[in-house]
Amino acid sequence: MERGLAQLGATPHVGGAFVCDNKGEVIVSSDPAVLATVTMSTIGREVGRAFIALEAAGRAAIRMELVYDTWRLFAHDISDAVVFVVCQPAADMAMVRMTVDVVVAGWRKDGDAQKRLARHKAVRRELVNRSELDNGAWLTWSMLESRG
Amino acid sequence: MVEGLTGSLAQLSLADILKMLAAGSQTGRIELSSGLDRGELYLENGNVVHADASGVFGERAFTRLLSWPNGAFRFEAHIPAPETTIDKPLDRLFAESARHASEREAIRKVIPSMSAVPKLAKQSPAPTVTIEAHEWQIIALVDGQASITEIADVLGREEFEILKQLYRLKTTGLIELTFAQPVAAPQRVVAGAQFFAFLTTAVAAAMGPLAEIVIDDALDALGLTRATMPRDATAALAERISADIRDENKRVRFQQTMLAAIRNQAAA
Repeated sequence: MERGLAQLGATPHVGGAFVCDNKGEVIVSSDPAVLATVTMSTIGREVGRAFIALEAAGRAAIRMELVYDTWRLFAHDISDAVVFVVCQPAADMAMVRMTVDVVVAGWRKDGDAQKRLARHKAVRRELVNRSELDNGAWLTWSMLESRG
Repeated sequence: MVEGLTGSLAQLSLADILKMLAAGSQTGRIELSSGLDRGELYLENGNVVHADASGVFGERAFTRLLSWPNGAFRFEAHIPAPETTIDKPLDRLFAESARHASEREAIRKVIPSMSAVPKLAKQSPAPTVTIEAHEWQIIALVDGQASITEIADVLGREEFEILKQLYRLKTTGLIELTFAQPVAAPQRVVAGAQFFAFLTTAVAAAMGPLAEIVIDDALDALGLTRATMPRDATAALAERISADIRDENKRVRFQQTMLAAIRNQAAA
């Protein structure tokens, strides 16, 4: 998996990449890490929930791109985990997306990668529960789920 | 009693909200947001008594908030104003804001941009010219190099005040304005025939003999042609084509081939 992240990191204007499981635990990150572990973890958990929320709202997606003034965050859902790529605004996102596709396809054929991902298996929907969310998030989730 | 009223300024303008609250002699706070901008208006028995637009207060803040074309609002009743910065009836505030807006529009026609650079006219427009003291402060900074924004920064005065004075100086013929020429966009390098020959081979390997048609369709979808396609759009084109490759192994192989080619092209 590290080699895949190195491949992503070699893409022009990409700062680094990491993979988080659905609980937000960092499975692997590029070296040196592009963000603090706690930040990667928070991003992983929140974006994982956003993917479920989209699914519950009938707008399932496997990719998400968040654009900020000075950086971009690309997220690619691989169901047991999410791959994140931290880019500069100048990054060629088509190139980033294709590289992620190639890397993820490589992991699917890589026994070691599969074992590591399997250790982090967690049913994402079960992680969205009353005790994990604040009031606002819980209300929003309940509304989305009831409409779905 | 109106309580917890919320909505969008695009659907209900601030002027309409204020008229409604004034008609009900409401007291409370209207919180406004538009992008990163925030504002607050306080009413007391239907009269606006305080306005705050990100640190600008009073009537200036009121006029600024009234000009927001979109955003969100929220009214909470019974919240008293922290201070009084406005003491005019609502009708007069509206009238002054309208006058202010039309003044802004007139200025905008003469000075369309804060990046304009003022310079002194070579000839005096009249045998006698009267200049106010506050105008002289501006004239002293007009050197044909500094933009209006830079002059406003040096004087530490509100941009609109500077614009009003420059408008008068311009319409009386004392100054001229120059506008920076837009910088020509650098010419983009085209992908070229060699790239398309390579692409055709790669697409044919993944999709068969219809490669040329597939490429032209993808170019069409991106609004490009073989002659004009810039080199920095090659990844977008490859990604577009790859989305049409059903066989996952072939798709990944195609993506790998194209990524390597794009990297080589960039390194060349």
